[in-house]
Amino acid sequence: MSATILIVDDSKMVRRLVSGALSVDQHRVVEAPGAREALAALDAQPVDLVITDVNMPDVDGLDLVRAVRARPRERFTPVLVLTTESGEDMKQRGREAGATGWLVKPFDADQLRHTVQRVLAARPR
Amino acid sequence: MSEEVRIYIGGVHASERPTVIKTLLGSCVGVCLHDPAAGVGGMNHFMLPHGDGAGDDALRFGVHAMDCLIGSIMKVGGDRRRLVAKVFGGARMLALKGHLGNVPQQNIAFVSEFLETEGIPILSSDVGGHHARHVHFHTGSGRAFVKRVVGAHARAVVDDETRTTTPPASGSVTLFP
Repeated sequence: MSATILIVDDSKMVRRLVSGALSVDQHRVVEAPGAREALAALDAQPVDLVITDVNMPDVDGLDLVRAVRARPRERFTPVLVLTTESGEDMKQRGREAGATGWLVKPFDADQLRHTVQRVLAARPR
Repeated sequence: MSEEVRIYIGGVHASERPTVIKTLLGSCVGVCLHDPAAGVGGMNHFMLPHGDGAGDDALRFGVHAMDCLIGSIMKVGGDRRRLVAKVFGGARMLALKGHLGNVPQQNIAFVSEFLETEGIPILSSDVGGHHARHVHFHTGSGRAFVKRVVGAHARAVVDDETRTTTPPASGSVTLFP
């Protein structure tokens, strides 16, 4: 199943890697370098999944998760956090913010694709 | 008196307090990033994986090494939009054999491409050549000092780097119930 996926990461190289991995499954990828641009992208189009980094300038990824959850249209849209942060306390904060899952970098392309498919299959319609 | 921290292959360190980060580089590269406005900085020390099928792994590994460094600097108050870089290492040590021989050049090329893509200017670099390097990086001022290493010490650097050939395992996946 192909989907529209919003990738939010301040690193262009990381966005390129994630985008490359997901394009194998014919997903349409929308990229944003920060939370502000991500919210503008969500205003412009509905997406099936958001994948976001945590440590970003201005607004961090967990605040973005909360902002996405506060939007009526994206209230139930799955949000995966993809980060170098691996601590249990950070994962717990992600969960409390409303994230659907937590993936620790470096990511394996096949594992990322598999997780994305699983989350897309489980999303409410 | 500044604190001193020594890092080794695979290491990364960033500090909000003025710190001297020291490392010894052979074919590995060390990237020093500094935010002049915040007066914070950090350094990593890595070598891309090599050997059969390392292509994608190598790219992912290199991006991860840089991502960890930038993330660490942001956590101590730096802003990635202000970062400037100094790049060291990537020596073609004479004792490196076979496919390992291309690794230094790949390391240098990767770092250049990464920094250009991310819009982080390289203020100075001392890369390539045939000698290992001692690097001291002052995180507060952004100044870096380099000294070439020769002799038995250099041989030990090659041995260390030759042992570090496998890419790191990928991170965990947690789906919340």
